[in-house]
Amino acid sequence: MRIFLDKKKFADAVHTCARFAERRAATLPVLGAILILAGKEGIKLRATNLETGIDLALSGECKEDGVVAVPAVVLEQLSAALSGEGALELEHAGDVVRVVAGPARSSLKTLPYEDFPALPLPEGKSHFAVQGTLLKELLVAIASCSSSSTVRPELASVYCALSGGELTLVATDSFRLVEKKVALGKGGTGKFLIPAKNAVDIAQALPAGEVTVSFDEHQCAFSFAGGVVVSRLTNAAYPDYRQIIPKEAAAEAVVLRKDLDAALKRATIFADAFQKVTLFFDPKKKALGILAKNQNVGESADSIGAASTGVPLELSFNHRYLSSALALTGAESVTLTAAGLGRPLLIRAKGDPSFLYLVSPMNQ
Amino acid sequence: MDRTNPKELWEHVLTQVELSVPPAAFSTWFRDSRIVKIEGGIVYVGVPSQFFRDMYVKKYHLLLLKIIRAVSYEFRNLEYLIVKDERRKPPREVKSERPTIELPLDDFYINKSDNLNPRYTFDSFVVGSFNELAYAAAQAAIERPGIAYNPLFIYGETGRGKTHLIQAVGNQFKKLYPARKAFYLTSEKFAVDYTDSVQQGAANRFKEKYRQYDLLIMDDVQFLSRKEKSEEELFHLFNYLHDNNKQIVFSSDRPPLAIPDIAARLAGRLASGMTIDIGEPDSESRMAIIRKKAALHGVYLSDEVVEYVAGAIGGSIRELEGIVNNMVCHAQVKGAAPDLIEVRQSLRSFARPQKAVSVKQVVSKVSEYYGIDEESIYEKTRRREVVRPRQVIMYLLREDFNVSYPTIGTKLGGRDHTTVIHSCEKIKREVIEDNILAKEIQSIRTLLV
Repeated sequence: MRIFLDKKKFADAVHTCARFAERRAATLPVLGAILILAGKEGIKLRATNLETGIDLALSGECKEDGVVAVPAVVLEQLSAALSGEGALELEHAGDVVRVVAGPARSSLKTLPYEDFPALPLPEGKSHFAVQGTLLKELLVAIASCSSSSTVRPELASVYCALSGGELTLVATDSFRLVEKKVALGKGGTGKFLIPAKNAVDIAQALPAGEVTVSFDEHQCAFSFAGGVVVSRLTNAAYPDYRQIIPKEAAAEAVVLRKDLDAALKRATIFADAFQKVTLFFDPKKKALGILAKNQNVGESADSIGAASTGVPLELSFNHRYLSSALALTGAESVTLTAAGLGRPLLIRAKGDPSFLYLVSPMNQ
Repeated sequence: MDRTNPKELWEHVLTQVELSVPPAAFSTWFRDSRIVKIEGGIVYVGVPSQFFRDMYVKKYHLLLLKIIRAVSYEFRNLEYLIVKDERRKPPREVKSERPTIELPLDDFYINKSDNLNPRYTFDSFVVGSFNELAYAAAQAAIERPGIAYNPLFIYGETGRGKTHLIQAVGNQFKKLYPARKAFYLTSEKFAVDYTDSVQQGAANRFKEKYRQYDLLIMDDVQFLSRKEKSEEELFHLFNYLHDNNKQIVFSSDRPPLAIPDIAARLAGRLASGMTIDIGEPDSESRMAIIRKKAALHGVYLSDEVVEYVAGAIGGSIRELEGIVNNMVCHAQVKGAAPDLIEVRQSLRSFARPQKAVSVKQVVSKVSEYYGIDEESIYEKTRRREVVRPRQVIMYLLREDFNVSYPTIGTKLGGRDHTTVIHSCEKIKREVIEDNILAKEIQSIRTLLV
């Protein structure tokens, strides 16, 4: 194999692919490698850790065809350290690959590539198209709300449901739940569960342009101009979360997002070991009180202006769950709806019906 | 090595594979796999994802086939299934103190839009000679919904897996035709829904609601008996769905025509498609069920235990499930599957109290059924309308309650035991030929339970 590439583009592509290579040492060595393929289909980089996988096309000149597997870590370090612009030559000879960038010459040990697995693509016909930037942003934001424990695999996943030209993404760790909707403009139905940590990796690799997502029962693929990313799907039933969204409102407060965010930041300093802050719905004073108390630090009482209705109500929350809700929406004001003591609190963005956040209170 | 035990077989395969595959490849490709089931000579290997399935098919199929063939020729082939995440062994986790109340997600795994419980699938359904006909009919109904068998009517005694089968139909239907709508409900729910809608003056909305479905599954339809208005609603709904080639599935504990107090036109329609009963599982099927249920929980029971439990517990699969749960719990607490002695011990609590039905009770029920005076049974009369019931009583006492011939004779007015033997034999013979008599005895039996 002998190919000529652009230094900068190569470094970017290697950086993207390296994320998909296996990082643990105790598995098949070739999984820790990036496969460089040069042939009729052009130049391609490929990597997989058996959970996710990527296949990325790269523009360049191909003098001689061939395949070579190079350890991802070393290749990433090397390509990131190449300074300046210009061309790069890769030549495979024996069990090394020579990398020539101007006067800098290095030769890397290669790995046998015969064991490199094929990337499985979904067999079904279900698919939809969505803008890469949008999907990227959504996946990262939503995945952060899924469970980090793998005891319940469905909760460690992002739930994607397609119906009526609308894509709904949901994640929950059983303490809070986020739902976001995106209009796609085209029909189709289906649903699947992507493991949350795969979703984050995939999001990083997506380009800004249009991405086609296809899926079947076990596998999904995100294809875009010049590449495809695949992931295994979680094969489990997702709880019918709509049932736990409270329908009645005992107290409701509309507050400015910035005000609440700032007040939570102040209260956080005084939160106790359980990260507890207390919200007080005060319809009489048209305010929302935020209280925190830590025996070792001290205590704080704060209040922000709120269009508040209903009955006076006091609920305690883990402040992290509250502030992460505020980070998920860009709306100016948010509506907090409490269904009662011990019942979850519903957070919605004013003027943005596509966003919904549910957070469970602490024991009083 | 026990060839039928998937765990032991897989361990044997692994030791062989390890010899011919490099260690890194072995730990990558074989660590998370296992044998899910062995059925009809085909060994099903469960793998974590499609990556693995492709690799097994491409690279390791021949090797594995060679190894299992060497074990026994009864294994014809290997197939690879991607196992469900929830069936994988979950990693042990130390639960930290979380003062936040958990959202009650656990209660909502049943999908409210179609009411189906996703746990009931064909994957977990054990097919044996007792239910293979019902299973085949269900499969046919799914393949050509609304056309093949419409309605599909499945009946059988409690705990025979009717609900599992019909819910599996719903779940499979959903999977095959994601754009179509399925709905599961019990007849009791249907009746309640109807009364509610009438109360609210929204009977039309009620009609609309049920007519939108492409597959309607109604469980325990026998509970509609004597609910005339609900029956009528079901009748109209049935006509609408049937005319539009929408599949309908019913279950009941008795055949359509034997459901008491149900309008004849409805009963006729229920029976108009395919009516199949699920009989009592034979002991091999019971063993298969026990194995499967235990394996679902990751517990492997020894053959003697499985055999013992299958022999000790009769027809109801639900009871078998209870015992399996008991053994699984035992395995989780003690870290090992229970042995025969322990199972015997714990089975005592499951032993059903023997049905204690007195002779007098049988006599009163039977004479009530035939509409004759209870006293006349004990008398020496040979009137025809008394002789038949008396013989039936003798037959039932002997067959169902194992009362000895002389005792039956003494209790029924001091008759000789040979008379009793003659009566029992006579009824036994006639039951086979005479359908009416068979039906009578069947209905009397239901009265006696």
